[in-house]
Amino acid sequence: MNAIDGTDRHTKVDEGPPPSLLTIVLDTNPHAWAHLSSSLPLSTALANILVFVNAHLASGNANCVAVIAAHSHKACFLYPAPNPVSPQKDHGTANGDVEMGGTSGRPLHSIPDNPNKYRPFSTVETAIVNSFTKLMEETKQSHLASTPTTMIGGALSLALSFIAKTTLLHAPVTSRADDMMALADSETTKAQRVPLTSRILIVSVSGDLANQYIPVMNSIFAAQRKRIPIDILKLAGDTVLLQQASDATGGIYMKPEKPEGLLQYLMMAFLPDATARAHLVMPSAGGVDFRAACFCHRKVVDIGYVCSVCLSIFCTAQLPDNLCLTCNSYLSLRSAQMNPPALIPKKKKKKKRAGQGTDSATPGANTPVGSGTPMHT
Amino acid sequence: MSSQALEYLEQLPLQTHKKLYEQPSTVLAIFRCMLPHLAKSIVMAMLYMPMPLSSSDLDAWFRPSASKLQKDSLYILEKLHILELKQRDTSRQIEYSLAPGFSKSLRQALEGSGTHRSFGVPAPQTGERKVTIQELDDYAQGQWESLLFYMVGGTVGFQGSVGGDIGQGTKTLLEGGGFVAKNHGKIGITRTGFMFVLQDTNAQVWSLLIEYLKYVDNLGLGMSETDVLSFLFMLGSLELGQDYSTATLSPTQTIMLDDLTAFGIVYMSHKNAKTFYPTRLATTLTSDSGALSTTNSNDVAAPGTGATQKGFIIVETNYRLYAYTSSLLQIAVLSLFTKLTTRFPNLVSGKLTRASIARAVQTGISSSQIISYLDAHAHPQMQKSIPFIPPTVTDQIRLWELEGERVETTNGYMIKEFSSEKEYREIVKYADDLGVLVWKDDSEKKLFVDRIDQLQEVLKRQANKRR
Repeated sequence: MNAIDGTDRHTKVDEGPPPSLLTIVLDTNPHAWAHLSSSLPLSTALANILVFVNAHLASGNANCVAVIAAHSHKACFLYPAPNPVSPQKDHGTANGDVEMGGTSGRPLHSIPDNPNKYRPFSTVETAIVNSFTKLMEETKQSHLASTPTTMIGGALSLALSFIAKTTLLHAPVTSRADDMMALADSETTKAQRVPLTSRILIVSVSGDLANQYIPVMNSIFAAQRKRIPIDILKLAGDTVLLQQASDATGGIYMKPEKPEGLLQYLMMAFLPDATARAHLVMPSAGGVDFRAACFCHRKVVDIGYVCSVCLSIFCTAQLPDNLCLTCNSYLSLRSAQMNPPALIPKKKKKKKRAGQGTDSATPGANTPVGSGTPMHT
Repeated sequence: MSSQALEYLEQLPLQTHKKLYEQPSTVLAIFRCMLPHLAKSIVMAMLYMPMPLSSSDLDAWFRPSASKLQKDSLYILEKLHILELKQRDTSRQIEYSLAPGFSKSLRQALEGSGTHRSFGVPAPQTGERKVTIQELDDYAQGQWESLLFYMVGGTVGFQGSVGGDIGQGTKTLLEGGGFVAKNHGKIGITRTGFMFVLQDTNAQVWSLLIEYLKYVDNLGLGMSETDVLSFLFMLGSLELGQDYSTATLSPTQTIMLDDLTAFGIVYMSHKNAKTFYPTRLATTLTSDSGALSTTNSNDVAAPGTGATQKGFIIVETNYRLYAYTSSLLQIAVLSLFTKLTTRFPNLVSGKLTRASIARAVQTGISSSQIISYLDAHAHPQMQKSIPFIPPTVTDQIRLWELEGERVETTNGYMIKEFSSEKEYREIVKYADDLGVLVWKDDSEKKLFVDRIDQLQEVLKRQANKRR
């Protein structure tokens, strides 16, 4: 008779891991890649990343991907392309498609009808390669001369906004949610919400990022809030900032000795999504440098000056008009100017306490009881 | 995804696996759909690894808390012959490496290299009008519904059909798979069949295809299992709305096309067409994103009734049942276990009665199947409360099922008319020790056993003693 009493009346198990969104921020700064060209040319790196993207797409049926290029003068989407390149072309419109991507010279990748390739893969690849070529062709010499660094800050913001948008679009099983579903109250829709786990992978080659300290730090905090891990694959250069990013968001930081083995690093360390990471031991950064960059000269500082109002960091006290650069509050730094910041030696309190002890009613008990409360009134 | 497919794959021998893994599309499909999540991570990590991975390294990679999941993943990978175990000579340590064929094909699939042409050869452009996705969906839905209706409709005595003809081959297959049974020339659904109807479409397709695989094997038409399987996996990686050429298919696969057309998995404009279109049933074979909904077929306002896909049944605590549907198939399924009374244009109403449940149980449908069907198709309004179906109703359905099981029959032997109390006691004790005693009555000196072979010896000895 016990069989009737179904304590397991509700037996709906949500099986399968949630779909995961991988946003790759690819540092495409030509200067830095030129340095690397002997060991890992950009084209090889891109090919490896494409394989990695395919592997990610294959790992889950609903997995999706976005690729953002952090170039020397701007950050832009490589996939999904901002103005759709319509990779699923019909046979008749083949010419038009090629023109749009501007890739008339590359027959191999612009054929989505490749019988040797899984269709979704070729769609993504074609789009990435097309927009990448477009980006490289648009890069003028003047762009390169302007700055040796890369727009990680902007790319991170793009990535975060894309993740936010995708998560919203993804939120419930909206495809079927029509008028009848809308009738059902919010509780049920929440129950059917399939979570989308997102992460950001930054493939970074440029060094100095201190001039973008503020935007990157803001992005890091946003990511931290949204529980989006930021993984860092550092192929060249070294930045304090990105280490902090992965540490603060619980991502992976890796600086491979040999960049040639890029694909293996990607596959082993960066492919497992949040579901798998719960069960795996992931590499970590080890010692993280927590130094900040100052807001005035973008220098990494060990000890600096902090605005008492907005907590901005400055490497020098010589601010114009003694006003904080961020919040314009008047800062009086006179005393600090005279004495360089130093640790104040600890006062010797032992003697004083001994004197207090004689006052107390019980001389033997040298307890903290007497410290605050008046004993004799 | 479909656990049956995995189960089927697991029991295949090494040779079949090896042959299967020659096709990149098959390897990719197996990777995408069959492997558990952690196994995917393992495979991907090892795919481009130049050296075998020692088991101690693998253990170090997994957190100690996940050792069970690790074992499960490794077990499946070994079972599918994806992972090879080697023992290093010097130190008795186990090393893992991917099966060469598997890793080669998976690399090809990811890189798009090679000339295997296993992802389908698109048909060259011709002047002919292309078939639209809507038409394909309609066709697939029609075929699949008529297949289901063939199973259900015959049982409840519905006339007519809801779609096209499903072909004699399909009917034989359904019968061979034990989904339906013929009783006095009438088609009746079986317990397996009802389980089949209850599944979602994707799982249904897989169970049918696996049945098909076994069927083809037994038929001995020289159709090789690997050919059939790799064709199925290829179908799963094709693009909906694209026509593919039949020219590169093997003879086995060409035969299969006919059968698959009957199921509605592929579409061919006529029997000897040079091209075929995969339908949504095919392209969702290797993904778990919902295949087509089988509910809104002969609804006039089909697009507007999207909500019925999610749930359309309301069950009240007084066992009354309202179903917002006009699909003959669903009404047929409901009438398997409901006493339907009224039908309106978009609604049928009825009552779950003792008789109707008992009838369903007699045909082999279990109470838990009924409950899970009601649960899966509960109206959004019902889904507000948890559990969806009122507990009184679920309990009562179970009770009604148990009622039918009140009398339990056991074949056996009755032993009575003992000459003395002592003899009776001896026999009872002996039978009890053997575990064959089913029932006894001390006052009447009767006992009932289900096996008598060993007791006979003792009885004979007793009889001899008496003499």
